[in-house]
Amino acid sequence: MNRRSFVSAITPVISSGLVIAAAFLVGAILLSLLGKNPLQAYHVLISRGLGSSFGVSETLIKMAPLLIVSAGLLIALKASVWNIGVDGQFLVGACLAGVVAPKLAGAIPLVPMLFISALAGVLGGMLWGVIPALLKVRYGLNEIITTIMMNYVAVYLTSWLVKGPFKDPQVVPPQTAVVPEAFRLPPIPFTPVHIGLLVGLIAVLVVYLLFRNTTFGFKLWVLGQNPRTAIHAGMRVSRLTVLALLLSAGFAGLAGANDVLGVKGMFQGEWNPGYGLTGFALVFLARLDSLWVVPFAYFFSFLLLGGEIMARSANIPVYFVDVLEGLMLVFFAVGVYLERTLAERDRRRVPATQGG
Amino acid sequence: MTSRAGIDSSTTDKAGSQDSQNVLVEMRGITKRFPGVVANDGITLTIRRGEIHAVLGENGAGKTTLMNILSGMVCPDEGTIVIRGQEANIESPQDALRHRIGTVYQHFTLVPNLSIIENVVLGTPSRFVLALNQAEQRLREMLGGFELTVPLQTQVRHLSIGQQQRVEILKVVFRGSEVLLLDEPTSVLTPVEVKELFGILLGLKAQGVSLVLITHKLEEALEVSDRITILRQGKNVGELGPAALAGKDDVELKQRIVDLMFGGLPPQENGGRAKIAAAPAVLSLRDITALGDRGTLAVQEMSLELRASEIFGIAGVDGNGQKELAEVIAGQRLAVKGRVTLDGVEITNCGTSAAVKAGIVYVSDDRLGEASVPAGSVADNLVLKAIDRAPFSKRAMLNWSAIQANALRLIHEFEVKAPGPWTRLSTLSGGNIQKLLLARELALQPKVLVCNKPTHGLDLKTVRFVLQTLRAQADKGTVIVLISSELDEILALSDRIGVMYNGRLLATFERDEADLETIGHLMLGVRI
Amino acid sequence: MSAVPLEGFTTALLSAALIAAVPLLLAALGETFAEQAGLLNLGLEGMMLTGAFAGFFVALNTNSAYAGLAAGLGAGVLWGLLFGFLAISLRVDQVILGLAITILGAGLTGFLFRSLYGARFPTLDVSLPKVAIPLLAEVPIVGPALFRQQVVVYLTWALVVVSSFVLSRTRFGLELRAVGEHPFAADAAGVKVFRIRYLAIAIGGAMAGLAGAFLSVADLNFFVPGMTVGQGFIAIAITMLGKWKPGRVFVGALLFGSLRSLATGLQVVGVAVQPEFILMLPYLGLIVALVLLAGRTALPGALAIPYERGRR
Repeated sequence: MNRRSFVSAITPVISSGLVIAAAFLVGAILLSLLGKNPLQAYHVLISRGLGSSFGVSETLIKMAPLLIVSAGLLIALKASVWNIGVDGQFLVGACLAGVVAPKLAGAIPLVPMLFISALAGVLGGMLWGVIPALLKVRYGLNEIITTIMMNYVAVYLTSWLVKGPFKDPQVVPPQTAVVPEAFRLPPIPFTPVHIGLLVGLIAVLVVYLLFRNTTFGFKLWVLGQNPRTAIHAGMRVSRLTVLALLLSAGFAGLAGANDVLGVKGMFQGEWNPGYGLTGFALVFLARLDSLWVVPFAYFFSFLLLGGEIMARSANIPVYFVDVLEGLMLVFFAVGVYLERTLAERDRRRVPATQGG
Repeated sequence: MTSRAGIDSSTTDKAGSQDSQNVLVEMRGITKRFPGVVANDGITLTIRRGEIHAVLGENGAGKTTLMNILSGMVCPDEGTIVIRGQEANIESPQDALRHRIGTVYQHFTLVPNLSIIENVVLGTPSRFVLALNQAEQRLREMLGGFELTVPLQTQVRHLSIGQQQRVEILKVVFRGSEVLLLDEPTSVLTPVEVKELFGILLGLKAQGVSLVLITHKLEEALEVSDRITILRQGKNVGELGPAALAGKDDVELKQRIVDLMFGGLPPQENGGRAKIAAAPAVLSLRDITALGDRGTLAVQEMSLELRASEIFGIAGVDGNGQKELAEVIAGQRLAVKGRVTLDGVEITNCGTSAAVKAGIVYVSDDRLGEASVPAGSVADNLVLKAIDRAPFSKRAMLNWSAIQANALRLIHEFEVKAPGPWTRLSTLSGGNIQKLLLARELALQPKVLVCNKPTHGLDLKTVRFVLQTLRAQADKGTVIVLISSELDEILALSDRIGVMYNGRLLATFERDEADLETIGHLMLGVRI
Repeated sequence: MSAVPLEGFTTALLSAALIAAVPLLLAALGETFAEQAGLLNLGLEGMMLTGAFAGFFVALNTNSAYAGLAAGLGAGVLWGLLFGFLAISLRVDQVILGLAITILGAGLTGFLFRSLYGARFPTLDVSLPKVAIPLLAEVPIVGPALFRQQVVVYLTWALVVVSSFVLSRTRFGLELRAVGEHPFAADAAGVKVFRIRYLAIAIGGAMAGLAGAFLSVADLNFFVPGMTVGQGFIAIAITMLGKWKPGRVFVGALLFGSLRSLATGLQVVGVAVQPEFILMLPYLGLIVALVLLAGRTALPGALAIPYERGRR
């Protein structure tokens, strides 16, 4: 690797760092305008999340669903399939896992029970993803709008399901039966972190290898670059599109199962953690680069957690984290512009004689 | 107009001062660099009142850039522009229009969903509420020499190419332009339409308008121009005034210009090909009918029989169903009717990948928008159509070393100027990209090769390389379907020639029966 | 059930539908301008929320509904200009930008609301006068619903006619359509592409902000974080369904306005349907409508594609 390509490989990291810094700066201005001390606020945000081993393990637990969701988003976004429906797919997956898991718990051994419940989550996500996918290839409907609509439908549908057919009759609040502690995701040995984190890391690794080493990944990449080219090259574009969205939705559903089996132990009505847009922001900040997703997932998980702590102890609403995410995406877009401009100026400086 | 005193002192015109009275626009020392290319290198150009001035050069010589600088689409890095004796700063098309410089671009700049009259008034100063009726009246008074046989409320997308070009000219004349720049205006026209266009241009000249004709066709430049400036590799390499052009039919004059244009490249030998032996057809089309992107009938009941080693040229004005026909053969577009057979096996609507497997490949004219992934590497692009095959893929896994080896081999074989297999495709020149695409298709060892405008926009050296490659491939037994709007190219290469008009094959000729005029008429749908 | 309450119910339902249609209509009309000029504003949701909060905040502090509406409009313009700067001048990807604005709008308004009011939900004590159109308002059932409305509602309807006229009959409209269809051609003809696009997105932002402010100030009299619940996205879809024609957009907005008010209506009348199902209706209905009507519509030629002179 020569110096030049090293610089170009490291540029995205630098600029993502600048993007984050810029977002925090604007966030700080906002905080001071409201009469809050930004330094103190950021101190709370960082020290609680990073400083204690409890904070670190909490962050790692929260990182699992983000990793799984991002693995799915990577597939879709690299293929230029705009799956904005992660939240809905997550909820339906979580709901199905929440229905299946308590029924199986105790009836069959732990490993197959977890496996089948996770599969229920994946299927739930896919069920929610297949609709916009088919609408796109069959009727040419843009998936951005349909997946967003499906999110709202999922919120209402799942909260009705746990009020009615899937409600645990033993308790008052609308929720599914609780999975006993013994039948939840076991911890990674010697840590308090459940194995969902490993699932997430493996998911990202699988996606990395998918795009690096498989023909399927190559085809998805071509599709993402230009669907017309994919058609010209003889690739089955409709099938690829459906598969990309299905896989993406499957991962979202798996993330739902992860939260039910690893954290909450059941599915509650009107529960919507909204990982979709967070995943969207983090995958773009990682420049759609699979492996860079891991540190960014840690960072965002840490932000989500820090946001909750800030809300509790510094009296700063949790929405502040959304503000930071939105700002990061905006600055990311500006960063891409700046990089492009710099690269063009660079190329213009190289003298050349070859015309045409 | 403005005082001309300033011009006389500042003019650099070598022809003498009585001539400088007429100078309208002067471009001095214009330099423009693009990433990787110096498109214009210190070019000086003088445009005089009421002359037709041809700017002649091959593709990539810098003609279009020079014109874009004058029309405000591109800002020069160095140099000055003097208009009517005053230094002018043209930073936008609006500035150019204010200086009464109007442009007819090669790719027309009409908005397809707007009507003729809306296109004409677009961008002209007017009140907030449009007064289209008034504009129409004004336009009709000006129409004089123009024959627009359609109502002015017609949407532009319904017009023929020739009509659209007339609307373009009308549009600039409507604004009172004194200088009219025309970029390759004949490239989309049939010979008959070219004659009509030249009629219009001479009419405008008679009204005192200056015309700058940008072209790579020597004959056309000689036919109407009063002055010819020749560009090569971004430099002005010679200017011929009326005196020098007096002996128009002089072979020596032509040779001199050709030498200037190409820097003394040896002429291409046009060795004849042996007659194609009578043999059963390799590719046969029967009653093929297909729809275009907008759902209109693009190809209608076309039938063809092509034998091994045959080069079949399809002549026609762009947009008469050639592209759709190519896509049907390549399996990329559905035929709603009819059959395609290859070696007696029916392959109608079998899809692109099956067509490739059967031995039909297609070199698309849209090199960056369809045929390749510009952001991908050379190696990626070279396996785009063979990614499912051994050795590039084994049990659904990519074999990167085979992909790299393939790229190295093809880069070498096709003399592609690329730093390496992992270079980004978009950083290569158009000629090298076309070589790579051709290499990719030929590596599939096709029985049938469909080419859509394979030499469009390439420099002469690459054009020759492409044509030689096609010919050599045909000699190996491949059927070649050559679609082009360059009649010369079709006549030079084809064994048989078919003319497409409005989705139909109007006629086919053996090479020795074909003559330019008949084909030109047929391209307009005129049967003789 | 006697005839009189039913009549009153129908009137109330119709009236609620018309009010529910107003924010959708405003936002979709604005989006029509933006998209006709070649800008895909997916940030409508965030812009509406900002308008809703700004309108609420100003109305609460000034006790003036009109000041609130104006504030919402102003906030929308600011968003529009920011979107314009990034999408037009910096040629940023419009899908990413739109979603960023959606997140940012929702986050910012939620953050400000909670910072300022904590867990309280103050309500506005302002109202916009209702105007009854003589004679017409007396027509049974339909009359009171259609012709006894707030002034803003009438103004919105007038905007449909104005937008239609501006887009089809004025120089600005012609230039706007040209810029969205073929910016290179427009530029070559001397149209100031950037200026037209900035104007279009400013109008789009203004209408989105006004739509949000209508929701908080004129319709509900309060603000809740995330109160638009996807109406911005519904408005984008209505624009597509309406094929960028203000008249058709009007019909679409009325349709989905009715679906939204149906939830309340059915509950009032006591029909035993789970509220979740009724709440789902607009979103499901929209997908169905898109399948039936919109499939493979011809988008403006240069939609979401930035323009750069000298490069095509």
